[in-house]
Amino acid sequence: MPNIRLQGIVKRYGDINAAEDLNLEIEDGEYLCLLGPTGAGKTTALRIISGLTRSDKGKIFFGDKLMNDVEPEDRKAVMLSQTYALFPQLTVAQNILFGPEIRDFPESMKEDTLNEMLNLVRLQNRPDAYPRELSGGMQQRTALARALASGAEVLLLDEPLRALDARLRISLRYELRDLAKSLGITTIHVTHDQEEALVMADRIAVIREGRIIQVGTPADVFDNPASPFVANFVGQSNFFVGKVIEKREATEVRDDAGHSVFAQPGGCRVGEQVVVGVKVGNTEISKEDGGFFEGTVERVLFEGRNMHVDINVPSLGRYSSKVPSWRLGKIAPGEVVKIKWSADKARVFAMPEKGLADELKVE
Amino acid sequence: MMPQVELRNITMRFGKVVAVDEVNLTIADGEYVTILGPSGCGKTTIIRIIAGILEPTKGEVYIGGKGMKGVPIEERDIGYVFQNIALFPHFTVQSNVTFGPMVKDRSREEQQRTAHRYLELVRLLDKMQMFPSELCGGEQQKASLARALATGARLLLLDEPLSALDARVRVELRYELRRIVKQLGLTTVHVTHDQEEAMSVSDRIVVMRAGGIVESGTPQQLYTTPKDIFTSNFVGETNLLEGWVRERHEGRSLIELRDESTITVEQCDYDEGDAVVVSIRPEFVFPYKDGLLSKIEHLTYMGTYWRVRAEARSEDRMEFDVPAMEGKLYHPGQEVYLMINRKAAVVFLRPREGIAEAVKLE
Repeated sequence: MPNIRLQGIVKRYGDINAAEDLNLEIEDGEYLCLLGPTGAGKTTALRIISGLTRSDKGKIFFGDKLMNDVEPEDRKAVMLSQTYALFPQLTVAQNILFGPEIRDFPESMKEDTLNEMLNLVRLQNRPDAYPRELSGGMQQRTALARALASGAEVLLLDEPLRALDARLRISLRYELRDLAKSLGITTIHVTHDQEEALVMADRIAVIREGRIIQVGTPADVFDNPASPFVANFVGQSNFFVGKVIEKREATEVRDDAGHSVFAQPGGCRVGEQVVVGVKVGNTEISKEDGGFFEGTVERVLFEGRNMHVDINVPSLGRYSSKVPSWRLGKIAPGEVVKIKWSADKARVFAMPEKGLADELKVE
Repeated sequence: MMPQVELRNITMRFGKVVAVDEVNLTIADGEYVTILGPSGCGKTTIIRIIAGILEPTKGEVYIGGKGMKGVPIEERDIGYVFQNIALFPHFTVQSNVTFGPMVKDRSREEQQRTAHRYLELVRLLDKMQMFPSELCGGEQQKASLARALATGARLLLLDEPLSALDARVRVELRYELRRIVKQLGLTTVHVTHDQEEAMSVSDRIVVMRAGGIVESGTPQQLYTTPKDIFTSNFVGETNLLEGWVRERHEGRSLIELRDESTITVEQCDYDEGDAVVVSIRPEFVFPYKDGLLSKIEHLTYMGTYWRVRAEARSEDRMEFDVPAMEGKLYHPGQEVYLMINRKAAVVFLRPREGIAEAVKLE
């Protein structure tokens, strides 16, 4: 199977830049998640790879072969939409065999393909069912089997889990990934759900306003975000704005009000205005002494494994923290807590040109 | 005073399908209740029955003590927010908010005051002159909420209000939703299939499955001490270990698994010899120098921790969490011993239909 390269892809719809100098390389057999908010250009990128949309500029390669003028049906890159688009009047078996029928496979081959696919997606008992008789998860698996039976070498999944219940979505993450990996098929999975991307991807490509802002392993993107946007989109972050005071083993950043925090040593100059970002899960709160500053607990929300705690810090605004649920009852609204984090968990970013609020917008 | 809502013996049939089966439910004045369940469990039917969009086949709805039989939706004093945002596209945000039946008969000045009040509450004041198409999804849904509230409704019905939004926006809006509702002290019924959403917004969660109520409780109760095995798996992820009670003592019982290994649990309501299932959440399982011998299959980075998937020698699936720093100590194929936090284990009688069937999500 080929690797896929997108080079300088541009696609405009009127004033909207759906792709703006988009560059991305996907390895053979890789499971890549294209992660971004609504309107970031995720689906456009997928459609350009499948050939359903033509780019205005730029090149797309499968291996060494330029694909710009290759018709969608000759690309072996099959796109699966979030609504699955099964033929309602056809059974599971007929849906799966739709591709092989068109391509006029010999009968014995069709039968083999069908059995193989039914086994693969665990629908051996339902070949004669119609889509409406199937659960959401089964419909999704049927659509997957149909795509694979048509000889897909590249799987393009457009929010494949979106139409499913939240809890089911969590269970099916591993299943879908394991299936793609066991087939060794190159997969590009579009999602707006950062947790889904973290759990499923070999690598995550974060996209915004038609551009790829960062590509890396889940650990990479989570721990070493390229911008405040990524820091906040892939796992929520707290931010602190100030000037660099000192750079040694840790960077000290201070604001005008005299609050001081520490972060990783980074590529910034002393005196420069910067943004420090730290994941809410790495933001610690305590009632003991020590801490960069203190605030009043606004609310405590039970989320199961963790509690989400919002703290109002005078003159700095809201900071959030995730605290293990066994501390429930030990932190209550109205209490004053100290906030701190370990310097190596906090990143220093250059101040975004359009300001922090604009940088962090998720819609 | 906000109204109390009471459902008495509600049954709803659509042809041969029983969507809701003999449901009894009381929602207290000012309570935020979420009805949580998988697709097809009957939760949407229930909220539509409360709203008066559907007339139940059997049973009756009481709002504020009054029977609602034959009372149309517009006379039930409710605000309704749908999953699919239903704003008028050719009206500004402000006009959308003042469109409600209770609002539009008032003076112009009062209408403006109302719009101002509710748009401030949902933090959309700066967008009140914009058209819906100029707002993003989360803002549109806030405008829908402001419109529902502006009618002066004292009972708020939220039908999957966040489902159409992006994951990230959804998380932010659910905190907002609870703040707004609690500030007004409204009685609220919220329907969702999202267990995380339910936990973070509700005073109480009602878990539904196949037309009936499985159980109800505070988010904490359902997460830490579920009464039903379905709830244990639906409200948060869990490991389910099959075994039987070998020894039962006050505060300390021994459960034997299929490979004859044993685990100790604090709370067990069943007798020696009973076939049981032990539910233990991944955050309460940890590697130790002895315990259940398990083989690691896969590690997933979750940001602040690693979720490890393993299979115990008893053939039970075991998932556990290790701190982010310790991820490099583990790899697929490795054998580890796992201990469980005995205080956090919940024991259920083994369901006759089998575990898989009892916790099935669809």
